[in-house]
Amino acid sequence: MKKFSPFFILIAVAFLFPAQPVFSKDTVVIYTSLENEEFVEYIKQAKVELPDLDIQAIRLSTGELGARMLAEKNNPQADCVWGWAVTNMEEFVPRKMIKPYKPEGWDKIPAHFKDPNGYWTAIDLYAAAFVINTKVVEKKNLPTPKGWKDLLNPAYKDMLIMPNPASSGTGFLQVASLLEMLDGDYKTKPVEDNKAWDFLKELDKNMGQYIKSGSKPAKLTAAGEYAVGCSFAFVYSSLKKKGFPVAMVLPEEGAGFELEANALLEGARHEAAAKKFLDWALSKSAMEGYSKFKLGVTYPGMKGPADMPSLDSIKLAPMDFPWQSKNRAKILEVWSNLFLH
Amino acid sequence: MNSPQREDTLLSNYTVSSARMEFDKFIVPTVTVFILLLLFFFMLFPLWMILKLSFFKGGELALANFTLDNFKQYFTTAYTLRSLWHSLYISGVTTAIVTVLVFFFAYALTRTTIAGKTFFRNIIMMPLVAPSIVQALALIYLFGRNGLITSHFFQIDWNIYGATGIIVSEVLYCLPHAFVILFTTLSAVDIRLDEAAESLGASPFKVFTRITLPSAKYGIISAAALTFNLTITDFGNPVVIGGNYSVLATEIYAQVTNLYRFDLGATISIILLVPSLGAFMLNYYISRKSFSMISGAARPFIPPTRKLKKILYSTFCYLIAFSIILIFATVIIGSFVKVWPYDWSLTLEHYKFPSIGGYSAIWTSLWISLIVGVVGSFITLVAAYAMETRRPYFKQVMYFFSVMPAAIPGLVMGLGYILAFNKPCYWFYGTPWIVVINIVICNFTLGILSSVSNLKNIDSSIEEASISLGGDTLSTFFKIIFPLSRVAFIQNFTYFFMRSMTTISAVIFLVSATVHLAAIEIIMLDNDGWTASANAMCTCIIVIVFVMIGILHLVNKWAGQTPAKEVPSQ
Repeated sequence: MKKFSPFFILIAVAFLFPAQPVFSKDTVVIYTSLENEEFVEYIKQAKVELPDLDIQAIRLSTGELGARMLAEKNNPQADCVWGWAVTNMEEFVPRKMIKPYKPEGWDKIPAHFKDPNGYWTAIDLYAAAFVINTKVVEKKNLPTPKGWKDLLNPAYKDMLIMPNPASSGTGFLQVASLLEMLDGDYKTKPVEDNKAWDFLKELDKNMGQYIKSGSKPAKLTAAGEYAVGCSFAFVYSSLKKKGFPVAMVLPEEGAGFELEANALLEGARHEAAAKKFLDWALSKSAMEGYSKFKLGVTYPGMKGPADMPSLDSIKLAPMDFPWQSKNRAKILEVWSNLFLH
Repeated sequence: MNSPQREDTLLSNYTVSSARMEFDKFIVPTVTVFILLLLFFFMLFPLWMILKLSFFKGGELALANFTLDNFKQYFTTAYTLRSLWHSLYISGVTTAIVTVLVFFFAYALTRTTIAGKTFFRNIIMMPLVAPSIVQALALIYLFGRNGLITSHFFQIDWNIYGATGIIVSEVLYCLPHAFVILFTTLSAVDIRLDEAAESLGASPFKVFTRITLPSAKYGIISAAALTFNLTITDFGNPVVIGGNYSVLATEIYAQVTNLYRFDLGATISIILLVPSLGAFMLNYYISRKSFSMISGAARPFIPPTRKLKKILYSTFCYLIAFSIILIFATVIIGSFVKVWPYDWSLTLEHYKFPSIGGYSAIWTSLWISLIVGVVGSFITLVAAYAMETRRPYFKQVMYFFSVMPAAIPGLVMGLGYILAFNKPCYWFYGTPWIVVINIVICNFTLGILSSVSNLKNIDSSIEEASISLGGDTLSTFFKIIFPLSRVAFIQNFTYFFMRSMTTISAVIFLVSATVHLAAIEIIMLDNDGWTASANAMCTCIIVIVFVMIGILHLVNKWAGQTPAKEVPSQ
């Protein structure tokens, strides 16, 4: 028996590991689709400014997060969502999965950045952008694209990469903006008859890959794997800072954009703590944190990062969130049938 | 021995209270029922939920709800149906390549006199210490669009994304699994047959095709079936290197997470279960046959191999070993260089993980794996002991359900767990415990198999002696069986620990805001384009597993020393 004692020590050790010190803090469980890079910074700030909260969070892609919440509908594990695409959020309101809550400072947020009933409140806006590897473009002697239509140039064959709209919110807003911009009658005709599909079919001929996440096209382009990555704006500035040979172009047709919003979840186990967190997430100091990364935040008068074009100088696509939200499943079905192989 | 004192103690042992005797009778049945309930609840119940969701509208069990719509939709939608053909193609090709490569590798190690056999044997087992994603990560660094070899060495546009990439990574991933089977088979088959044929004048080619191959056929089929099963159920490699090339496992994930189609995800799970269950059944059937063949084998010395043959086999083995080392070296070096392949200056930058999980994920993985190791190896030993002392009928039932988990793809099990246990009454949902249970159940098969074969090696007379001297079942187990099984116990612990550190598919649906796991972080980091940090996380896992194997090796040596004399050899 003595010889066996190492096992019992091992067993004891194994079971002692999970016994972490008990916090007297209030727990709050947060789901988010914000990019890891920014999110880690915000969380650091939140932990300093909300010392009595024990913040537990997981970061999943827009689609993964939705699936997770649907799966947990009858047994919600999270208390609130933070920075999740409004298109997806709108879909979840009629499913009775979101509880209206108007956080402190809600009145300051302009009306078009929030749900009138307080189901969700947007914190920021992020826009689609092309990230271009200047070295690759030079080496292969490619023209610099100005907008989506330039990407149809056969010279770009297999040199483009964009996110899969089914898994990435960025990919979805790119496709949705094209559907709305290239077909004036998008509202009245069935999704599958939209004129933009013909454009996307042409674009598909040049597309090297549809990839799962929205930031990866920019990163792979920066690493020299592609010439042009259809991605979003802030990932460009962080790559530029790291010294990658990249340039950014906002599509001249109009940049598709998405609002990222916060909401309280129905069935939250730590509702009081969640409300406290949501109040903070809309506060001026939190917004200042977002504004270091995002093209625009919803706090009135706050400017975006210095190395990005200011919001009012950008031509934004006319995004129709209610239509997108209602037709999301159909859009993805048509897209998947056309382009997944 | 016959001193009065000794007799006294014996007598006092005989006068156990009758209550205790009664209690003793119930121990084995209780344990049997407990293990069966465990398997029913944590394996069959989740599967049943998947079956229900795929065949009944909304997962509501009622005759009126029965529908084949999901299957119809799967088979009539071009892009979903493609994933089935892709999976079969990938698995078929991988199986063929792995079986051939590993057969000759094992042949070289068992039938020739090449040097460095221990080295080769250790190297080919290496893929076991890393998640099944390390191959894909390394291949992208080497042969990707901006790969070191393709784009910088040869300056060509070819790249490995898609089917080729998946096949190469799966081949490298499956090598150790197929090797274990073929090595056992080839070292067990009687080599004297070959010698006899040779001395009767058969040409080496004829000996090989008429004697060597046929005598190893069960091992070959078994290795092929296992490889097929591993490949078709793998999620990590295809998701990283597949590009737009979808396979069944990635399609399940896409349907659930992108389109919120849990029902279609369940349907594809059922479709994936058919070939993987088939391959498993074949393996099960074959291995029972071949093991009976192995038992009586003799192993005389190997005659010196001709020089040319030796050189050829050595080169071949070195090539395979080199590929495996290359994979690991690429990932490890890739985690330390600044910008692969432009800037080779060393940095620890990538070890500052840009994610919320980071080092806490490694920590969580470590202690979960320790618990999985202890719980898994203990439960399988108890189950094996109960099985061995049961009547044949129960033994068969228990054996069947115990080996069944190997046939169930991890991703399917994970999806089943969400469907089955995501209710407030199951308190363990969302805690680390569901991860522990899931990993133990998913890897039950191998634990059971090695425990059973270990128990068969313990002379039953020792156990009988213990019982006739008045030891009850509990004390026999803890004082006799458990100590005698310690080597097997440590082996099982290593296996469960390794699986738990590296598994991806089984737990990807189960990580949560409070439970971050290192292997899943790799996928997430890679997804976000932090490939170098993904490599760094991989390196951390590899180091932890190696350190653990080192520690256990020492413990094993130390624990196995003295009592080895007590173990009766058969």
